[in-house]
Amino acid sequence: METNVLQIKGLVKDFPGVRAVNDVCFDIKRNVVHCLVGENGAGKSTLIKILTGACERTCGSILLNGEEYCARSPKDARDKGISTLFQELNVVDQLTVEENLTLGIEDTTFGFLHKTDKIKKIIDVLKDLEPSINPKERVGRLSVAKKQIIEIAKAVASETEIIIMDEPTAALSESEIERLFTIVKRLREKGVTVIYISHRLDEIFTLGDYVTVMRDGMHVATKPIAEVKDRTELVHLMIGRTVIESYVPKEEQSDEVLLTCKDVCNHKLKNVSFNVKRGEIVGFYGLIGAGKTELARAIYGADSYSGEIVLKGEKLKGTPEKAIKAGIALVPEERRTQGLFTLLTIKHNISAMNLKKISKLGLLNSSQERATAKNYIEQLNIKTDSMDKETSKLSGGNQQKVVFSKCLFANADLLILDEPTRGIDVGAKAEIYAIVRELVANGKTIMFFSSELPEILHSCDRIFLLYEGEIKAELQNGKDIDSQDIIHIVTGGAAS
Amino acid sequence: MSSNCTPASLRAQKAKRIVKEIYVYIILLAVVTVLSLLKGDLFQRGNFLFPPNIANLLRMSAPILMISSAFTLIFITGNIDLSVGSTLSLTTVVHAILVLNGFPFALSLVIVVALGVLLGSVNGFLVMKLRITPVIATLITMNAYQGLARYLVPPGISSITTTDTLKMPEWMGHFSKDQVFMGLSWAFIVAIVLLIALVILQKRTLFGKYLVAVGGNRTAAELSGINVVKVVWGVYILLGAISALAGVARASYLLIGEPYTGVGAETEAIIACLLGGTVFTGGEGSVVKSFVGAIIIVCLTFGLKSVIPEYWQLLAKGAVLVFAVVLNHLLSKEAIAA
Repeated sequence: METNVLQIKGLVKDFPGVRAVNDVCFDIKRNVVHCLVGENGAGKSTLIKILTGACERTCGSILLNGEEYCARSPKDARDKGISTLFQELNVVDQLTVEENLTLGIEDTTFGFLHKTDKIKKIIDVLKDLEPSINPKERVGRLSVAKKQIIEIAKAVASETEIIIMDEPTAALSESEIERLFTIVKRLREKGVTVIYISHRLDEIFTLGDYVTVMRDGMHVATKPIAEVKDRTELVHLMIGRTVIESYVPKEEQSDEVLLTCKDVCNHKLKNVSFNVKRGEIVGFYGLIGAGKTELARAIYGADSYSGEIVLKGEKLKGTPEKAIKAGIALVPEERRTQGLFTLLTIKHNISAMNLKKISKLGLLNSSQERATAKNYIEQLNIKTDSMDKETSKLSGGNQQKVVFSKCLFANADLLILDEPTRGIDVGAKAEIYAIVRELVANGKTIMFFSSELPEILHSCDRIFLLYEGEIKAELQNGKDIDSQDIIHIVTGGAAS
Repeated sequence: MSSNCTPASLRAQKAKRIVKEIYVYIILLAVVTVLSLLKGDLFQRGNFLFPPNIANLLRMSAPILMISSAFTLIFITGNIDLSVGSTLSLTTVVHAILVLNGFPFALSLVIVVALGVLLGSVNGFLVMKLRITPVIATLITMNAYQGLARYLVPPGISSITTTDTLKMPEWMGHFSKDQVFMGLSWAFIVAIVLLIALVILQKRTLFGKYLVAVGGNRTAAELSGINVVKVVWGVYILLGAISALAGVARASYLLIGEPYTGVGAETEAIIACLLGGTVFTGGEGSVVKSFVGAIIIVCLTFGLKSVIPEYWQLLAKGAVLVFAVVLNHLLSKEAIAA
């Protein structure tokens, strides 16, 4: 038997305007936990999508057990021996655990379901992995962690060779993570190869046998974990030469409180209280599911809440429309679906939040609209040959600048940025940080929500740490800030 | 998730589940109580609960009971079929024409149900193969089938009935009007048998499980190798066939082929399913509760008939629908939070 279960050779994937995966070559050994790391936009997701059949490669070859492998769909990939634990879990909440495990492979007589040894075998696999799950329970009542285990059990029972886990711990608590780790180790004992993707580098040292680092679509290194000295080395491989300039504290601090939140609660948030001073960049850091987006949306009035949010001494009540009038603007998490009208042009997007300013008696003044667009394109350095270009055709970074322009044109004093650099390349990220700095210099106030610690540390004056909808700690940014400590807190450890 | 496990919230969740389980029966009880107090002495002639009155109500309601039970299945898959009313109209007319032209009952039944299969598979084809949004696709066929029903009635007359040359046979009303058991008709008994069959289909068969899987998480169903197209198409065909069976029952009750008899039946079926707690977005639904929901609708229609004018009846039905949808929304919202 080959020692390499998977061989990737010269893999390339082009998207319009960007090469997401660029000539990637590496091997994955049989029966190991192989970790895949890289920053957002490094090409991990695209690589995984090719493996799972969710998208087609441009060129290159993949060998599974020495034979050419090409999956047409996730189902096809699963049949060929590569199962995936997606972040979006593929279980049917309305069915029981047992029904989910046997979905698609039931035994029937004349269309009627009946029990066989096969079901018993699958349930034994589940019991082996996690005895506490009752097979008769409805899956909708189980935690995310247990749903994951059900999917893993299903994959194992179908005798899969490789399980890909895409950020499996993103939504888990600390004890659940530990349980998952035990299961991953058990899988390795059973002869399954695990491809493990995570942003949490500590997990990789705990769990991994090998690690592959990707950066900007390219393969940087593949080595045994034992040969990686420490975290710093890994981070260095991931980030490469690009040096993010470190945080520079502001010279003068205003004492004027711009925004106060008091005991804000809703389905996700628990008693969130804090204040933001004029001219500050306030960071909110937490992992996925910590309640960042929910908090941003509550302040913006897009989600309902109890408690008080006060802006410039006046209580905010409820809708984005009122928030915009009061001088708040949101750069939302999902640029394409929430931030932009992707089918409209740049100039139409920029003016969209404040059409009153460029219209008279309900008629739009298009020369004013063009002038506005021109102004922001220059000011924020949006790279385009024309302001009449549809925003769907812009790169991620330029799209985000259009969203910023839109918010600025709405006369916002307070900008709420929710994951403003998600899915954009390193260069554009640096530009976004520069824009944020400049905005503050011009008297704006910024709330910066992110799940990437480096950018929070780079940009923010004060940092709030979120975990499970609660503010766990408030930190003043500066030289003596300890990122280990921060990670400890946002993963549910006690604040020190 | 773990934070929701305090005893108080667990109790609240459990209470909500129980309310969800039984509220349709409570509504039925309330509606029946109100109707029986409106007019006459309890259980006497003129009162809503006068036994022959109830028996007649059930005989009349067989078609809508059949359609509502089956409609649950299409809702479970997360789809919709607006054409059931028009299918009812069309098959009523076709059955009347066949019987008028001397076809025996059994043969006409087979032909009409086969027609229902055809109509249902057209819906399935539009939705699953041409990928037209279910609402739009079945809105189109709703109009097309209704037009066809009107076309089949010769110009100058309003319905298929005895003419100079052809006579509607005397047995036409046997299926829906004859009292075979405690004042109930064959058609109603068939509706009950159908209900039981659909419950077994939903709870015991592979098809029933796949309905939930497709409606609950389509991606997961596809990943598990379920042929989603086949499953949903199958439900459209089943619903078409059952609507056709309902058409036979309706023709037998009316004794004529009335081309507009099915207008509004889809609305009634939708209200019935929503009253029964079926979730609009798919994955959940109970055939039995939709059946009870349909009985509520029938009680309202029939019980208010001699009491208040027609526009008030429509308004009352509308009010019940709003109530059902709001309640449904509230209960399912809680279910997600839990």
